[in-house]
Amino acid sequence: MYEIRFHGRGGQGAVMAAQALAEAAVLEGYYAQAFPYFGAERRGAPVRAFARIDESKISIKSQVYEPDVLVILDESILEIDPISEGLKPGGKAIINTVKRPEEVDLGIEVECGTVDATTIALETIKAPIVNTSILGAFARVVDIVPLESILNAIMNRFGEKLGHQSGVMNAEAARIAYQKTVVGRSKGTRKVVGKKMWLPTWNEIPIGNTLSPGEIDGIVVGPGSMTQNLTGTWRTQTPRYSKEKCIRCLRCWFSCPEGCIERLEDDYERWDYRYCKGCGICAEVCPADAIEMVRGVYEW
Amino acid sequence: MKVISADHAVAHGARLARVEVVPAFPITPQTLIVELIAEFINDGELDADFLPVESEHSAMSAAIGACAGGARAFTATSSQGLALMHEMLYAAPQNRLPVVMVNVNRSLGAASGIWVEYNDSMPERESGWLQVYIEDNQEALDMVIQAYRVAEDREVMLPMMVCLDGFVLSHTVERVDFPDQHLVDSFLPKFKPLYLLDPDEPVTMNPITPPEYAMEMRFQLHRAVDGSKEVIEKVDREYGALTGRTYGGLVDTYQMEDAEIALITLGTVTSTARVVVDHLRSEGKKVGLIKLRFMRPFPSDELESIAENLKALGVFDRSVSFNGFGPVFTETRNALYHLGTPLTNHIAGLGGRDVTFKEVREMFTVIEEHAKGHRVKECHWHGLRGDS
Repeated sequence: MYEIRFHGRGGQGAVMAAQALAEAAVLEGYYAQAFPYFGAERRGAPVRAFARIDESKISIKSQVYEPDVLVILDESILEIDPISEGLKPGGKAIINTVKRPEEVDLGIEVECGTVDATTIALETIKAPIVNTSILGAFARVVDIVPLESILNAIMNRFGEKLGHQSGVMNAEAARIAYQKTVVGRSKGTRKVVGKKMWLPTWNEIPIGNTLSPGEIDGIVVGPGSMTQNLTGTWRTQTPRYSKEKCIRCLRCWFSCPEGCIERLEDDYERWDYRYCKGCGICAEVCPADAIEMVRGVYEW
Repeated sequence: MKVISADHAVAHGARLARVEVVPAFPITPQTLIVELIAEFINDGELDADFLPVESEHSAMSAAIGACAGGARAFTATSSQGLALMHEMLYAAPQNRLPVVMVNVNRSLGAASGIWVEYNDSMPERESGWLQVYIEDNQEALDMVIQAYRVAEDREVMLPMMVCLDGFVLSHTVERVDFPDQHLVDSFLPKFKPLYLLDPDEPVTMNPITPPEYAMEMRFQLHRAVDGSKEVIEKVDREYGALTGRTYGGLVDTYQMEDAEIALITLGTVTSTARVVVDHLRSEGKKVGLIKLRFMRPFPSDELESIAENLKALGVFDRSVSFNGFGPVFTETRNALYHLGTPLTNHIAGLGGRDVTFKEVREMFTVIEEHAKGHRVKECHWHGLRGDS
């Protein structure tokens, strides 16, 4: 049996990627399953998805703890989660990054494919949804499912859900990624430490299902928890503000769904990049072209 | 002393317990309770907020919110109203909010009716609420007061449902003695929540709970319900010392010292069964009665020691799990599994059908036969037209 674990962020399509991979395997005559695991749904939050591929019917219904393949849709999760925990020594990894495999430190030296899936997705499907690009890279690194079946599965799933044209564009993204993927070996110097979670016994949990202000590792709950949960790392694009062009209409300030644009006394603006997720609404509503979306995570 | 209905006894119990917030929606046969409480508040006899909410779902939500805000919350409902509360019921136990609610038992339709059956409250024993079933009007008043003392005990901190038979009790008038307010005040200190909803010292109540924590919290609740047994017994003894009235805690017995056969009852049928036991005793039969008071926590160990020497035991149920048995029977059989006592289930009084002396007598006849080693059916429907 082949077990695959996907790591991404809400909105990047890890769940759809796992499903399309399972479908591709089925098209190849295998048995396959795919399922997600995530907390309260929100875009940008770390998401895991799992897939299994086998020659006979798959019974197991628990999560994948010792994957043969890791698929990492968002490089930044490497910094917050012990992603490569449990990856088999002979396993493989596919990661969305501008780096070359030997520059990627997974904490384990394995065969690794790297691809700048975000750029491919932005250019091909005009959105940073990298799931289909990463599947192209998967086909390049892992020889269990050929590209042709992946493309067919993408056409089936995305075409059905989002229309034929979307299927075509997503298949194209996968094809480009397949070609651009660089295969090598990852670095294994990073120390993979299991996430330090608070795992109390039943009588250690304060009774009453109530949490005082502060952080509890792993869930970050309670009023004020946003000070620990800096969601600005989720963005792929950063708004760049030009005070010279700004006409002080305040439309960006009104429109920011995260409230991370600060209105200064003279009605000019300042961005709180710790929480800006780069949605681009401010740039979209700006009538003076004073806000430009720039690829990458910056703080100006 | 007054001659009043059990519904009014409950309202007086709430008044004496100095409840502070009463969100409620009227439903027969509970209506008399909330009407009288509203009168108390209007007449200045009770310093509380009455919230005439738009549904029972809101009534329970508001009671939970009031409790979280540090108020002693009371509500009452019946049947369809309890069913509508179902979703919110589950918020109180895990958040350890000791709301007290009286459920005037009424059959949950269809078949629609306003008369007593326990199919409204029995399914809610999975919710984490403590559940006591009441035999008479005096017990109704006393148990509202005791319920707060148990529910608000730091070792418990769980909501409690006081269940009483619709009409058979709710609209029956009997003599009821009132404990002095100062006695109740000494017995029932002011409510202190575990956490207070306070804007100045914010806390998060009822957050989303990922799988890493939920199971431990479930076990915690499981142990809390179990741990309430001791407090229930203790509170009943203390109440007895204060007022002269005790109810036996989790389970009470009648004529059980030398009994060879017995019947387990709950609710008002217990009273009728006492008369049947007296009658059979006068015939020289060694029969006894076990009055089950609490369905949660269920007194498994207590029943085991009471039933140890019985030759046969019958279990009365006023609701049924279709294709199965009555819930009291199922729980009892679980509890007595190791004893191997011959057991029969006696279902009667569904949909408010009157349970008569004759029917309870019939139950004992079956148990007697069973004790003699005769083969009897496991489950009997008494008062049913046609064979069961």
